[in-house]
Amino acid sequence: MSEIEETIKRIQSHKGVIGIIIVNNEGIPIRTTLDNSTTVQYAGLVHQLTMKARSTVRDIDPQNDLTFLRLRSKKHEIMVAPDKDYLLITIQNPSE
Amino acid sequence: MSDRLDRKAELERKKARLAQIRAEKLSKTSRKEEVKKAPVTVASDLDKKRQEASKIIEELGIDNFATAVAPSASPKKTGTVERDGAGEGNAYRPRCNSMDWDLEPSLVELQGDQLVPTWQIKQTKLGQSKITLTSIPPKEVVSYAKETQTPVQQQEQESEDELENYKDVQQEKIEKQILEEEAAEKEQQLKLEQEMIQELSEDDKRLIESSEPYQAFFLRSSKFVERALAHQVDIFTEYSSQMDEEGEMDRGMKLSANRIFSDERWSRFRMVTSLDWSTHHPELCVASYGTNEEAPYEPEGVALVWNSKYKTTTPEYIFQCQSSVTASCFAKFHPNLVIGGTYSGQIVLWDNRVNKRTAQRSKLSTAAHTHPVYCIDVVGTQNAHNLITISTDGKMCSWSLDMLSQPLEAMELQHKQSKSVAVTSMAFQQNNVNNFAIGAEDGSVYTACRHGSKTGISEIYEGHTGPVSSIDFHRCPGQLDFSHLLLTSSFDWTIKLWSIKSGSRTCLHSFEDRSDCVYDVSWSPTHPGLFASGDCAGRVDLWNFNADTEVPVVTTVLDSAPACNKLRWNSSGTQIAVGDNMGRVHLCEVGEQIGTPRPDEWTRFVNTLTEIRNIQQEDEEARMVARQH
Repeated sequence: MSEIEETIKRIQSHKGVIGIIIVNNEGIPIRTTLDNSTTVQYAGLVHQLTMKARSTVRDIDPQNDLTFLRLRSKKHEIMVAPDKDYLLITIQNPSE
Repeated sequence: MSDRLDRKAELERKKARLAQIRAEKLSKTSRKEEVKKAPVTVASDLDKKRQEASKIIEELGIDNFATAVAPSASPKKTGTVERDGAGEGNAYRPRCNSMDWDLEPSLVELQGDQLVPTWQIKQTKLGQSKITLTSIPPKEVVSYAKETQTPVQQQEQESEDELENYKDVQQEKIEKQILEEEAAEKEQQLKLEQEMIQELSEDDKRLIESSEPYQAFFLRSSKFVERALAHQVDIFTEYSSQMDEEGEMDRGMKLSANRIFSDERWSRFRMVTSLDWSTHHPELCVASYGTNEEAPYEPEGVALVWNSKYKTTTPEYIFQCQSSVTASCFAKFHPNLVIGGTYSGQIVLWDNRVNKRTAQRSKLSTAAHTHPVYCIDVVGTQNAHNLITISTDGKMCSWSLDMLSQPLEAMELQHKQSKSVAVTSMAFQQNNVNNFAIGAEDGSVYTACRHGSKTGISEIYEGHTGPVSSIDFHRCPGQLDFSHLLLTSSFDWTIKLWSIKSGSRTCLHSFEDRSDCVYDVSWSPTHPGLFASGDCAGRVDLWNFNADTEVPVVTTVLDSAPACNKLRWNSSGTQIAVGDNMGRVHLCEVGEQIGTPRPDEWTRFVNTLTEIRNIQQEDEEARMVARQH
């Protein structure tokens, strides 16, 4: 447990990182470093997006699967590390 | 009573009126008959006289004497009188009658001036029958049909634009509907999610977080994310817009320490006791650490695997041990295993596939080591390899990685059957499983072999005046073989070059530029004349035989000048990992111009070696002469 805490703290302290959200496969946040409304918004939307991306990858090739999702925008970069049961969402400001 | 009388009177009047009407009718018919009869029957004289008399009377203005009589009599009588009296007075009678009847209001209505409107009212009453009303709607329908026909024709005439507009409008409507539906769905989903969030209680979260799959997921994913975070790639570079003129020239001649591997909890204040690069994953480097005196509750020994490829600040793997790890290396032919030697003499084996950080350990027994193991190496080939370990009491063991319960082979390294050698360092010849060299605490260097007619220590090379800190065989492959060349560093501030092929037991050359204990020395894996050394003042030197044998070509001082305990080249010869006594591993970038050999380096190295030998012979001769004198 403490190791997870440490890792979250470490990632959070990484330069430019805005927040970390861990979401289960239903889009429900388990862990977050952001406030509630932002978390709910990110969790719902990013979860949907990831599911869509995963289905896209799988539809193109059924043997394939999504391993990482990086979404770069003018202001932020959203990184999603998907897994069978959980998603690790990291939001950072890459320009910083 | 009066009502009755009135009614009776009324009835009588009505009767009189009826009688009068009948009488009129009768008189009319009779007159007609009279008219018909008149031409036929000639009137009598009496009649003529009467007629004439009546005419006269009329002319005289005494009309209707009978009327003067009549008022006293009943209307019926007057009627009869009138009829009986003058037949020509018809024109006047109605007027007289009317005078009488005017008294009756009901009859006035019937016979007055308003007779025509009353009749009309009666007529409209008839006309208001439902038939006329229902007859109007059909007319309207017809007209409406005509009206509708005309606009349709107009629309058709007005070109198809309107139709398209209509379609557009409908599409917009549909789109609006879809949008609305979507919005509604989203709202629902959000609501659902919010509800679900509320469903997931703190206990549930704790349960999930403590579950094994969650932890495994997190450890894996967090590593990816950290690498991604550290991976600073600016894919938006535009070369056309700006040009950074940076002096790349002088970088080629540099040795720059540009990265530090350190972990606040695991490596801080622990001395780096050994370093090794992986052969399977050239970017991985294992570092073993000693005890942190300030943290008595932490495990004494730690080995961390660092990754030089990604700019992560955390180790890839953390391995722990109950005893201080004094040596470590990757299992050369197995990508997942890391081997460590401990201060207690046990050999530990870590597997990065297993999530547990605890190691597989060898037993503490007299069959194996009972003293600290400072030397550890895997020698052999993919199919036949052994782990060789030597402890400070001079005991050498060889192990199979599959069986750590007891060594395959154990041997006491002794010089002249009595003096056990306190081994501090060991080096195997390149591609040789039999011959190796060891450095001892007393400053002597020994060559030894594992097998053959004479196992154990074969030769002794004396020259160092302090304990030998490290020993390294030449390892650079090339057209010429220099594997007999041996470099040693010592606490006596010197680095010495030996050749185990030549008959002489003295060193070929001594590098005495340093004025501090030299802790480590290591040949470059790619450049034949290049080696690196580190001393206790934090100086890392690169020496090139072909350039200069007296001073290093490049020198760099580590940040905050710690003791530079261990250093190892990576397999490509571009980086040197330097471990210090503060628990940090510095990654030094070797400049291209120094690190990469030119094609003539090997022949030049041969020339340098002969020069060194000549100098050495001259020195010996001079010494002999001096001794003779």
